[in-house]
Amino acid sequence: MRGLPLRQLVDVYRAKFRAEIALQFAYRWALAIWLLGLLLQPIVYLVVWTTVARSQGGTVGGFSARDFAAYFTIFMVVNQLTFTWHYWEFEWRVRQGFFSPLLLRPIHPLHNDLAENVTFKLLTFTVVAPVAVLLLVTFNASLNPSPWQVLAFLPALVFAFALRFLLEWTLALAAFWLTRVTAINQAYYLAVVFLSGQMAPLELLPEAVQVIAAVLPFRWMVAFPVETVLGRLSPMEVAVGLAAQLIWIGLALGLLRFGWRAGVRRYSAVGA
Amino acid sequence: MSGTPEQAIQVRELRKTYVVPEREGGLAAAARSLVRRRTREVPAVAGISFDVAPGEIVGFLGPNGAGKTTTLKVLSGLLHPTSGEVTALGHVPWQRETAFLRRMTLIMGQRNQLAWDIPVVDSFDLNRAIYQIPAAEYRERVKELVELLELEELLRKPVRNLSLGERMKCEVAGSLLHRPDVLFLDEPTIGLDVTMQRRIRNFIAHYTERTGATTLLTSHYMADVEALCRRVLVIHHGQLLYDGDLAGLVTRFSPHKTIVIDLEPSGPAVDGRIEALVGSPDWLVSHAEDRLTLRVPRSETAAVTTRLLANLQVADVIVEEPPIDEVIDLVFAAGPADAQAKDAR
Amino acid sequence: MLWLSFRLGALNAIQYRADFMVQLFQSLIGLGIALGGIAVVFSQTDQLGGWRQEELIALIGVFMLVGGLIAVVIRPSMEQLMEGVRLGTLDFTLTKPADAQVLVSVKRVEIWRLVEVVLGAALIVLAMVQLGERVSLERVAAFAVTMLAGVAIVYSFLLILSTLAFWLVRLENILVIFHSMYEAGRWPVGIYPPWLRATLTFVVPVAFAITVPVEALVGRLEPATLVGSLLLAVAFLIASRWFWRLGLRHYTGASA
Repeated sequence: MRGLPLRQLVDVYRAKFRAEIALQFAYRWALAIWLLGLLLQPIVYLVVWTTVARSQGGTVGGFSARDFAAYFTIFMVVNQLTFTWHYWEFEWRVRQGFFSPLLLRPIHPLHNDLAENVTFKLLTFTVVAPVAVLLLVTFNASLNPSPWQVLAFLPALVFAFALRFLLEWTLALAAFWLTRVTAINQAYYLAVVFLSGQMAPLELLPEAVQVIAAVLPFRWMVAFPVETVLGRLSPMEVAVGLAAQLIWIGLALGLLRFGWRAGVRRYSAVGA
Repeated sequence: MSGTPEQAIQVRELRKTYVVPEREGGLAAAARSLVRRRTREVPAVAGISFDVAPGEIVGFLGPNGAGKTTTLKVLSGLLHPTSGEVTALGHVPWQRETAFLRRMTLIMGQRNQLAWDIPVVDSFDLNRAIYQIPAAEYRERVKELVELLELEELLRKPVRNLSLGERMKCEVAGSLLHRPDVLFLDEPTIGLDVTMQRRIRNFIAHYTERTGATTLLTSHYMADVEALCRRVLVIHHGQLLYDGDLAGLVTRFSPHKTIVIDLEPSGPAVDGRIEALVGSPDWLVSHAEDRLTLRVPRSETAAVTTRLLANLQVADVIVEEPPIDEVIDLVFAAGPADAQAKDAR
Repeated sequence: MLWLSFRLGALNAIQYRADFMVQLFQSLIGLGIALGGIAVVFSQTDQLGGWRQEELIALIGVFMLVGGLIAVVIRPSMEQLMEGVRLGTLDFTLTKPADAQVLVSVKRVEIWRLVEVVLGAALIVLAMVQLGERVSLERVAAFAVTMLAGVAIVYSFLLILSTLAFWLVRLENILVIFHSMYEAGRWPVGIYPPWLRATLTFVVPVAFAITVPVEALVGRLEPATLVGSLLLAVAFLIASRWFWRLGLRHYTGASA
């Protein structure tokens, strides 16, 4: 599956985009419900930490209530833009044989999911963005990044998405070997909650956990772009972070290639 | 018969063995299996070889679990065989080269390839992009398919809202948009009503005739096979029992013919003489009123018929081959050992 | 019926033995994260909206216990139900000679999630020991009653949500909303702003399943809340039954 002309790819993505829009439109209510749930998450943590900050006379570990509001709102946006769901679908795909049609097509199945993902993000962002603004205003968030921080935020965000997509697609390949992967997926998801900064800014976690989050890819998948735009990192730290992201992306690509080949071999050995 | 490069499909000694976990019933046994898991090898295809020439339409016959679907999946690149050599259009299917995937299609009657939730036309458009079908050709093909299969009303509907037959029409159309040179059809008409079966069948015949596509078809419905395939492969327990035309299958596996004789009602009673005239009591299937039904060895057919015509007042005679379904049943009932014994004969 | 389902679930689960280890591992991770979350918060403060650490541990215990019960049988069965409506496989269930609501409610069991129930119970016991003399028999009884009522409310609520699948097609996501709302139950509802507190109490009744039982355990429960919780449970059970029947009447199979 090599040598795909770019023009064809663009064409496929456009076709997928149109189809996906039709699909999401058909399920606009489900989409709205889903978004509602998504938006609740940052509010919970925001409230918990604001309560803590208030009981401690205003700030916790250098975060004021207004800082928490900014952190969790931006986190929600970044998390929404970078998350993937494909690893939840693989078990079902493999078990029901829905992988077969994808394998019969002269195009890597990754493109199917990537196109679906990007389309979904573009659609939902139109709701998430105004809600984020609303949250920032309602909770009186303190967010005033300097121009270079905004500039650095963009590549950090794109890399974070690339890294998360590649890693989670690789994780999904486990479904080729194991019949039930839900447990693994949930374990992974919980690790993300904890180590990507979803529960609390990584700074507030014990030193050891911070190290783990930074050594593993988790910090680079979500927390890092958030920290960047919140102005909590020095230029040097941002540069190091971007480098860490690129290194992980390289590793993830290698893993994915290797895992995919082995996975398809396995799939076609045990019965598609 | 060594494979020549002109063959569209070549299969040599194809074997596919699945490893499945061994299971016993009951909680205790299941708990034991937590500790050690036993596995068992199940041969699905046990060494088959055949060639298919370009443009040939070949029917695959065999009972459930005979290895038909496994073979089709190997040929279309979904399955990696345990051993053996296979080429299709000069490619090794399971390497899944883009050049190969673009030229073939696999249609499975029990699986959907069109996206369940989006309108048919969007799935078509996606296929256009994936298979890089030039826009003008795409429009023309869709138009043609819409006319031939009467899809006009269906294109804008999501697949989940279509009936099984409508879905299958769209499925077939979508799978042929890229003009594949090789078609693998696994039970394409399963579950459809007779009219719709004929519809799909006629369409496939039309397509293959026009494009000269090579086709391998499995079906439970003999009508599909009789209408489409001049050549059939009979496979049972993973082994090839027969490779040849349908008529040959009947002569080979059914050593009997059926003779039905209607007697003149006014004629003399025949009761006493009948067994002697037929030749063997075993050959007489039924004798009711004025009708005799006989099942006679192929080689005796002429002699028996002549004898009866000479000695009885006959109103009508029919000599017929047994129905193809019956023959197929006979083949499967016989099993590989018997079939091979017949081969030797 | 539930037992049969359990037995089947057990048989199924044992065949996927790796899952047991992963589930255990995962539940421990979940527990670690929950306790970790509390530890992180209480490393910065000594009370959260008036709740002390051991009270929050009891809350996490109930959160896991009830969450485990949902995960063992309610949620998998509800997911199966919605898939059944979407794909038309519900037909097979409806033709069985038993109450369809009962059948769909115990249709699928994910046995390993019992681990969560056990861990949750253990955590509650641990918290009770920590709470010491503040726990009385009376309070434990009130706790048991309110928790039962809470589970009944959550079950009815999930059944109502799932029944919506008869009208709206792709609704797997609707359980996601409950899931994220349920996550909010990790913390006492009292800390939330009024609109969210009201939502968690009356719209997605997480409060009755988690906060209220824990309040009963630590002796903060007002008698009125206890009675209210019971009445609400009965009302929810009746409403969900009625809605389920309404939905069934609307069921037409997948290809409709």
